[in-house]
Amino acid sequence: MMAEAVLQAPPPETTSPASGRVPGNKGIWVGITCEFVEFAVLFIVYFVARAHFPEAFQQGAERLSRLSGTVITLLMVTSSFMIACSVTTMRAGRRRQSIWWLIAGLVVALGYPVVKVLEIQWNLANGINGESGIFFTVYYYLTFNHLVHAVWGILGILWVLARHLAGGYTTEDHCGLEALASYWHATDIIWLVIFPFFYVLA
Amino acid sequence: MTTLSTSLKPLVLAWLLLVVLTVLSLGLGQSFHSAPWLPLLVAAIVWFKGRLVARQFVESELATPFIRRLLAVFIAFAPAGLVLTGFFGRQFANWATL
Repeated sequence: MMAEAVLQAPPPETTSPASGRVPGNKGIWVGITCEFVEFAVLFIVYFVARAHFPEAFQQGAERLSRLSGTVITLLMVTSSFMIACSVTTMRAGRRRQSIWWLIAGLVVALGYPVVKVLEIQWNLANGINGESGIFFTVYYYLTFNHLVHAVWGILGILWVLARHLAGGYTTEDHCGLEALASYWHATDIIWLVIFPFFYVLA
Repeated sequence: MTTLSTSLKPLVLAWLLLVVLTVLSLGLGQSFHSAPWLPLLVAAIVWFKGRLVARQFVESELATPFIRRLLAVFIAFAPAGLVLTGFFGRQFANWATL
């Protein structure tokens, strides 16, 4: 009886450090590579602008809502953590818990566009728009671009959640869930860079 | 051979560290906004937070060499730029002028 149970239990997934594994699938890593290249180019523009106009960048950060930037950062790292928990619990065979972690990750992730809208309203009320100077031009294009990528991620979470609820993932095969998680973590890493650019370095 | 983790403990610890570092970097930015060493410290925190997400959430140490290198290079890119513009801003501006 015991031997039968052992035989039926899924073997723990292993990987060789030399060759390694692809978290999720190759397709999502093509997308993540493109996303990194795109933001690397945008970061270069930020550095060139900052080097040319250091005073504008020091004064600009003082006028932004640091609270909004901090809340978005906490929302991003928390939703990223919850989606990582969803993958880990699925791997451990706890499907129900995995679904709840994914729902929690989605709810927290939805806070990002909400806070962004409030931040933009706050900016406009304080006379900050895309024509308020070089700092704000760079701030708007970088943060809007990130928001667009985050919205794609949220749509991805919704799709993966629908598949998860329909029983589309198993302990042995949940690469779709892991692909979504990899994309969301990559988007989180990008925000962790953007946050000090505009809200910390005054 | 390395087994993929099924424990939530490392994820919780990484998340707590990310939250603490976020609040810490904000406090540092407000308290020492004119300190010349601030860009270096902020760059170090950005790098560490990025590595933390890559290692604990993406499990980059178990990934293929390409994914490991991609994450390592991207995470190091912005901190390097912060140090460059923080300490060699004028020279960089001259070099980057059309």
